[in-house]
Amino acid sequence: MSSDTPPPVPLADPTLRRVLVFFTLILGVLIGIVVVSLRNLNRSIATSDWVNHTHALISELDALRPNLAAAEGELVRYLHTGDQRDHAAYQEKFADLGESVAVINALIAGAPDEKEQFAPIAALLARRAGLATQAVQLKKAGDTAGLQKLQDTEAEGGDLPELARRLEKLREKQTDLLSARDRASFVQAQVTRWTVLAGVGFDFLLLCGAAWLIRDDLAARRQAARLLAQTNSELEEKVRQRTAEISAMNAQLVAQNLEERWAKQAIEHQNRYNLLIIDSITDAVFVVTKLMNISRMNPAAVHLTGYEPVDLVDKPLAKVAQLADADALRRTFDVLARTLVDGHEMRSQAAVVTMKNGDRVAVQLNVFPLRDRDKVVGGVVILKSSAPSSS
Amino acid sequence: MPVGYRPDPVIPAPNSFSRSARAALALGVLAGGLALPAPLAATTLNELLDNPKLNAKKFANYFGDFAYEFNAAIQPPEDFLRREKGDCDDYAVLADYVLGKHGLGTRLIHVRLAGRVAHAVCYVTENGAYLDYNNRKFFVTLARSGPKLRDIATKVADSLSANWTTASEFTYSYETHRKVMTATISQTGGDEPNPGQSSPFHVE
Repeated sequence: MSSDTPPPVPLADPTLRRVLVFFTLILGVLIGIVVVSLRNLNRSIATSDWVNHTHALISELDALRPNLAAAEGELVRYLHTGDQRDHAAYQEKFADLGESVAVINALIAGAPDEKEQFAPIAALLARRAGLATQAVQLKKAGDTAGLQKLQDTEAEGGDLPELARRLEKLREKQTDLLSARDRASFVQAQVTRWTVLAGVGFDFLLLCGAAWLIRDDLAARRQAARLLAQTNSELEEKVRQRTAEISAMNAQLVAQNLEERWAKQAIEHQNRYNLLIIDSITDAVFVVTKLMNISRMNPAAVHLTGYEPVDLVDKPLAKVAQLADADALRRTFDVLARTLVDGHEMRSQAAVVTMKNGDRVAVQLNVFPLRDRDKVVGGVVILKSSAPSSS
Repeated sequence: MPVGYRPDPVIPAPNSFSRSARAALALGVLAGGLALPAPLAATTLNELLDNPKLNAKKFANYFGDFAYEFNAAIQPPEDFLRREKGDCDDYAVLADYVLGKHGLGTRLIHVRLAGRVAHAVCYVTENGAYLDYNNRKFFVTLARSGPKLRDIATKVADSLSANWTTASEFTYSYETHRKVMTATISQTGGDEPNPGQSSPFHVE
């Protein structure tokens, strides 16, 4: 095989193209799922942050009243005992209350409604802290009457019912908000779930389609391979049969060739034998064509005529032999030739042989037609020397 | 809100830590320029204040063997150092006090996580990182963070695998035992801190 043969051009495979399209679609869907899921995840995180935010706000709101109660409890204890440990305790509790207020203010910083609702609460709490400061100042000043009056005023009710009502209202609103945000979080989680499930389902269908396509293509290829194998098998069987026939024919031809060679050898042998026979005849024998041209002559003829075969072959017999009949020269046709054309024999006719040296010799001439399947193809002319003569 | 932190499951046990930590510290010493291991004897506040080469990293190395113990109130520094037990508040406030005395810019940060859990750290401006009591046993005791309150809160919450809700910057005085919120932000809000509002509640 020549190395210059160009490589076969690969045929466009439609199945491969279709499978690639399927997998591209699957990849596209996967990317879509990832993008949508990430977006939903970010939204869920944001929603979750808001849920945490609302929980934190509710917790801080819930802590306000207990913190205030604890701080005021510690304050009352200090007012009764005057102990420095109680002093530190109420200060710490009020600081905790202040921290809660600061945290709530930070949590509602971006919500005007909540800010509006919380402002009176913060003011009430600040007022309570202010009363505490006032009580401590009265205590430190030793103004027992003023302190008692202040405590009596507070015992009548003060701001606490109003604080509780406002806190409850704000808390209720935050609870509703929490429910709404939690619902939004749930819906987003559901959307994410369904997006992923739908995407995976669609991808699964696409994969099934691709698998079906591949399976179909494989089945077609297997079928084609089976047909090819079958065709190959049949072809091989035919080749085997034909080879067997050719082998048999070849053997027959070899045998026939051998037989023909043998036949040819036999013919050659027979021919040589016939020539030997002819050559061994002491009479001059000429083999002539139908037109009386010499085609062969035996040694006796050479001796009689003095011509070598090369001198006489293809020459007319009349060059060396003529009938002795006096009318022969006058006749317009060649009697000898006529004999062969007619297929007659001519026996013991007197004839004259003109030798090479010009001598003439009287002979008896016999002509025998040569027949092949009843058709005269030539003749044999035998010249018997009768007596020597001179011209 | 009480300040504390969730027991961190990733903190290794002291025995397993000591091997890796000492190996890491030995490597650090070989590499040069890194802090030496903490002394074995209990440290006093004066030692910390009088150490002229003290920096944030060296400060943190004193607390590698300290245990965790939650206290509602912040411990006096001598108690914390003597008992070698305390919480994030004790550590952050002490760091703020000591490193501030050494001329470093420090900020106390209080991060409230979802649920009633909070955590306090001390941010050191020169290092661009904060000191966290949870990292006291690790080789890397300083956690890098941006200077914004939001950056610090996010980093702290991430380190605890939690979400934060609000974060405050505060000051604390060992003399008055008073904690003052100077700024507070919420996770869902903007970066603009809400001014501290605890002053009306500083009852005399």
